[in-house]
Amino acid sequence: MSCQRLKNWIEDRYDLDGLRGFAKHKLIPVHRYEVLYYTGGLAMFLFIIQFITGMVLSFYYIPYFEQAHKSIIEIVTKLNMGWFFRSLHHWGAQLSIGVLFIHVFSTLLLKSYRKPRELLWITGFILLGISIFFGLSGYFLLWDERAFAAVRVATGGAGNLPVIGGFIKSFLRGGIDVTGDTLTRFYAFHVSVLPILTLILMGIHIALVQYHGMSVPISEEKNVRKHVPFFPNVLYKDFIIWLVALGVVVTLSILMPPEIGKKADTLAAPPENIKPEWYFLFLFQTLKLFPGDLMGLNGEMIAIVLISLGILFFFLIPFFDRRSARGEKSPVFTWIGIIYTAYFIVMTIIGFLT
Amino acid sequence: MFKSTTIHKKMLNCLCCPYAYIKTLIFFLIMLFLGDIPLLAQENVEVFPSAPYDRFIIYQALVLFWIGIIGLIVIIKMKLKEIERIQDMGIDKEEKDIPFLD
Repeated sequence: MSCQRLKNWIEDRYDLDGLRGFAKHKLIPVHRYEVLYYTGGLAMFLFIIQFITGMVLSFYYIPYFEQAHKSIIEIVTKLNMGWFFRSLHHWGAQLSIGVLFIHVFSTLLLKSYRKPRELLWITGFILLGISIFFGLSGYFLLWDERAFAAVRVATGGAGNLPVIGGFIKSFLRGGIDVTGDTLTRFYAFHVSVLPILTLILMGIHIALVQYHGMSVPISEEKNVRKHVPFFPNVLYKDFIIWLVALGVVVTLSILMPPEIGKKADTLAAPPENIKPEWYFLFLFQTLKLFPGDLMGLNGEMIAIVLISLGILFFFLIPFFDRRSARGEKSPVFTWIGIIYTAYFIVMTIIGFLT
Repeated sequence: MFKSTTIHKKMLNCLCCPYAYIKTLIFFLIMLFLGDIPLLAQENVEVFPSAPYDRFIIYQALVLFWIGIIGLIVIIKMKLKEIERIQDMGIDKEEKDIPFLD
């Protein structure tokens, strides 16, 4: 079947002209902060890389605690380009979480969450949480001593939450302690539960972006120079950014392939000077600020409760910021956004340096 | 019997002659490290091909990859510039009721 015949066959059945018309009439405002619009598309592109490399790795990975570590060593040392795919998956994850943080903080500072885009904020925020859990579960699949200790600390921290903490801890661990059952459970999360949730939420998020259009910051509403069509102008710029991102991921994968630590021993003490992944460092540093005992209460529990309240407030910001919803400037929430962003950056840097 | 005698002789040599003693010690030390090699390999897994030829091929491929990326970016940029020029001229819009040319 020639291309023209195939095109005719599809056009007979589906309204491609309607789609073309929609793509042509979708306009993007041009202003000072328009570069931040590209972070969403970039995060999606990095997710696609993660899906592809993850599928390749899952052909060879064995999700059983006795063979998990060995199977990764075999992927890296025996399979043709195995090291490259693992490295791509590792660096793709780091960059996608980094880009998602930039996307979320830019949405927060530009108040793109304001009415009528509250659901966009909610789906995006849940996607960030899922991505972080993707990172933690993927890190654990390595089954080395650092990952083992990190998951023990993370699930133990969640267990300090009052009322529901015990349930969350045992649900994540699949038992009282971190064991081989936890590995099987995390594998299930990593390759089936989280990808399905991601696809559903990403679909809703993208559909909502199409429905509402791009948000313009309140301060820039009068300064919008012009509107450019999404297709082809913005899509072409997206391609350029994606190509650069692909180059960066490949370069990092070749120049800095991730190490493989010693196989986890469930009975051994955790290694000294252990640090979590960079996106957990701000939480790790916050926990360090609290003493073990505070006014007769467990300091760690108080810290976890305060962190949870902080995250809950962050999640519900669109419903608290009433002035932005009315289209007015709200400096209080600008400052709250700056404080959140600065806290995350400063604590991450301190955690990295200490 | 023969083997046992040889070993005894060697042991006596070791005790009497310091040179032979050092030689035996070095031999045992080498054997000790040789025995540890699999353990060392287990701790530091090679996560990147170690052969110089493989490394050369990988770095060469990386350079070619970047050349390809830059080339594609230049092509997209040129195409985008052309589209923007046509849009600025205002000749990209379809006119209504335009007669079809067969």
